[in-house]
This record gives sequence, C-alpha cells and structure tokens, in this order.
Amino acid sequence: MRDVAIIGAGMTKFGRSPGDLMDILAEASLRAIEHANVGKEEFDALYVSNMMAGETAHQTAVASSLADRIALVPAAADRVENGPASGGSALKNAFLAVASGCYDLVLVTGGEKMTTADTDIITDLVATMTHPTAEYIHGVTLPAMGGMLTRLYMERYGLTERHLAMVAVKNHANGLKNPYAHIQRACTIEGAMSSGVIADPLRLYYVCPISDGAASLVLCPLDKAKKYTDKPVRIAGVGQATDVQALQEREDPTVLKSVKIAAQKAFKMAGVTPDDIDVAELHDAFEILEIAESEDIGFFEKGKGHLAVEKGVTALDGELPINPSGGLKARGHPVGATGVAQAVELFWQLRGEAGERQVKEPKRALSCNFGGFGNNTVIHIFERGW
Amino acid sequence: MVEQKFVGYKCRSCGRVMNPKHDRCLSCKGRDFDEVELPKVGKLVTYTKLYALPQGIEMPPLTLGIVDFGVVRVLGQLATDEPRIGMSLRPVWGKIRRLNDKDIYGFRFEPVS
Ligand SMILES: [Zn+2]
Repeated sequence: MRDVAIIGAGMTKFGRSPGDLMDILAEASLRAIEHANVGKEEFDALYVSNMMAGETAHQTAVASSLADRIALVPAAADRVENGPASGGSALKNAFLAVASGCYDLVLVTGGEKMTTADTDIITDLVATMTHPTAEYIHGVTLPAMGGMLTRLYMERYGLTERHLAMVAVKNHANGLKNPYAHIQRACTIEGAMSSGVIADPLRLYYVCPISDGAASLVLCPLDKAKKYTDKPVRIAGVGQATDVQALQEREDPTVLKSVKIAAQKAFKMAGVTPDDIDVAELHDAFEILEIAESEDIGFFEKGKGHLAVEKGVTALDGELPINPSGGLKARGHPVGATGVAQAVELFWQLRGEAGERQVKEPKRALSCNFGGFGNNTVIHIFERGW
Repeated sequence: MVEQKFVGYKCRSCGRVMNPKHDRCLSCKGRDFDEVELPKVGKLVTYTKLYALPQGIEMPPLTLGIVDFGVVRVLGQLATDEPRIGMSLRPVWGKIRRLNDKDIYGFRFEPVS
C-alpha cells in the first residue's frame, strides 16, 4: 500500500444555506481544489458522500452530476451512502483507491441539504436507519435511542445531566471560534439544563441541530504531495466496523462495539495508541456519544469519560481537546458532510490553520464518524506528513 | 389483524434465541430456527419519554423502552406514564401507530400489577 496524503480542504459555512445541494457540493469542492493547488490537473475519481438527496432534493446519482458541474469528467464518480457515517466511508474509499495505486488524484466531497424539509420529515428519514421491525415501527427516532443510552449511562456509571450540559457548553464555546459553525452562540450550564425536553433525559442542548453544508478534501499519494503543498497531512490509519442493528440486541448496550473495533483497526494500521493522539473530532449527534466514544476509542476508561469532561481534559486547552470545531452540536450535522468536515477540521488543526480554535501544535489526530445508532463506525487517524 | 404470539427464534445448531429474526444465527451462522415463546414477564432496562414525535403518533410523550426477557431484550412502547427501571412489564398485542396511512400492529408493554 502507498502512503496517502490530504493536500487540500474546503467547506461551506454550515447552517441554513441559500443554495441547493448541488450548489453547496460544488462550492466546497472548488474551495478544496483551489486550496490543493492542483490547477487544471485531471482528477481520477470523485467520491460524494450523501445520505438523503433522493428524498430531500429529489435527485439521485449526485456524484455524476457534480463531476459534470465542476468539470471533472471523465473522472470516476460514486455516491457513497452510509447514513451519518457516509463522509467517513467516502474518505475511506478514496484512501483505499489511492493507497492501492489505482488512482493518483481524488476528490472527496460530502454534503447534505436538510433545512428545506420539515423537521418531522428529516427526523423520520433519519429514523429509517433503525431496525425496520424491531425499532422503527414502534416510533423510535435517533433522539429516542440517544435518550435510552443516556439513561443507561446514568444508571450504570453515575453520569448526570450536568455532564451532558458541560459537553454542550464546551462545544458551543468552540463553535463560537469557528466561522464555519452552524451555531455561533455561547451557552451556559443552566441554559442548557433548562432547555426543552426532546427525548428525556435529552434536552434540546444535548442534541445536534439540523443543518445544510458541504465539505471537501483532495487526496494524492504522499510521495507526490510535496508538488502541491509543504504541509501534506498523511492518513495514517483507517478502521471501520459494523455492529448488530438493534440497540437491545447488543451484549452490553452501553458499549459501542463498532467504535471499539474500528478504533483498534485504525490504531493498528497507524502503529500508535490512544495516548499518541493530540486532538480528536468525535460524533456528538447527542452529547452522550462524545463521552461514550471517548471511552470506547480508548482515551478514557469505560464509565469515566464524563470525569474527563468535568476536569477540562477535553477542552480546547486541555490535554486532549475533543471537538475543537464545535462538533456536531455546534458546527452542525449535515449528515452526508459530517465525516468529511471532521477530517477538514483535523487537516487544518495539524497544519496550524485553525485560527482562534487552534489546538497547541498537534502532531496526530483522530476522527470518529458514527453511522446508524452505532452500527457502522468509521475512524481515521491523521498525522503530519512533513 | 390477527394477534400474534410473543416469540423469539431459537437456533437449531447452537440454541441461541434471537429477536428480531436474522437469516443466519449471530453466534454460529446456522440457518434453521424454531419459534419459541418468550417469557410472559420482563424487566425494564432503560426508557425514554419522546416529545419530538414521529408522524403517525399523536400524543406526546411517547414512552419507549427496552425490556429484558432473560433470553432476549425487546424494544417497544410502554403503556405507563411512570416507567421505572427494573419494573415488571408484560407484552400486549395491539395497534401501535399509523404509518403511511396504515395501522401498524405489534407488542407494547404494560405494567404487571
Ligand atoms: Zn446458532
């Protein structure tokens, strides 16, 4: 396998975009292409991560359409759908294609346009990821799953609602420093704890917003990267794993086994351990997930993740900053874009280009993109390639 | 709709009971199963009261929970406003929601008094 580098990144401001899905996909892609300094070179392939264009934009085969729109024809083009982990999957596919020697210049663009549809329609579309007969038909939604997992955590590990609020406050504070974030507003523990109940014990502030947005990356072999940039970011490890679909069928429903296995695979490929990670972007669609993932990745002991939040370990100036971008909670969660946006943030962080939210000289970073309700997770490890 | 039995699917090769049904056993990949009746009473493992309702369910909150029947856990709606972890519940067959203009039937769980 060849070493693979990211040489350019770009994204749209997340939130409510004036443009349609194709507009934002094109905008993020062109920013990444320009940033990568590849000029008019031909791309070999394009991977577009998107979860619900058929349902929300009444458009299918969006990858072919994007290739046409931004003049990548005749590059190979595929849409990649893996629920909210579509972005992670698209990046993984691009990594494998470059690592194998098949392709030299590849674009990965993730995007979703969600704010034009009614909230209950989006909630229902997302809920269709759950088990059709054992979960979905009973009225289960993703926040309901988040609520049930949170309650298990409270019973088992002594997590309190205050810990969820602390994660929200931290991520809002980080989002305030991120010009691309959907929500750029500070929040307080008291404010979070008095927001409306969505899926008890989850309140509005422990749940990510519905956002539009797109993010994009340019990949090439590491040995060709110096042609384009002094600071290529190497993809050091990739891991992906599935789990049984229904939460109740998992041996221990508080253990995110797909996260655990994906992390182990990524660490093994990169030849590093959780201690070697300086900054991470985790999938906090619900604030409990940031805590649970931080444990199952191996940063903290199981059941102790909330104590790390309490001590400030995961704050921007802590030992292991988590979600410097603001995470899904503040940056927003345009489902197909999220996995790519996590990598974009870490690319900027490793290169020292993250502005006000810059973490102190990180050398290695990890992203966790969590699909379904944890039944398909993609983890990437990035490091300086210079 | 005809009332169904509250069942699990027992693998003929290794004896593992599963619900929902899989086409291959999650433990041994065996493909043959027998329907077995599940215990009549289970214990509540976790729950949520859902206020942001999906379509086809009218009155908030919708209380959903996971009930442990020993050999398997099953998720469903709870017919109680005061769920408590560890409480005893039993499955009751009935209409659970409307979906795409159709009535959907299934088991919900009610407290054993
Ligand atoms: Zn078996």
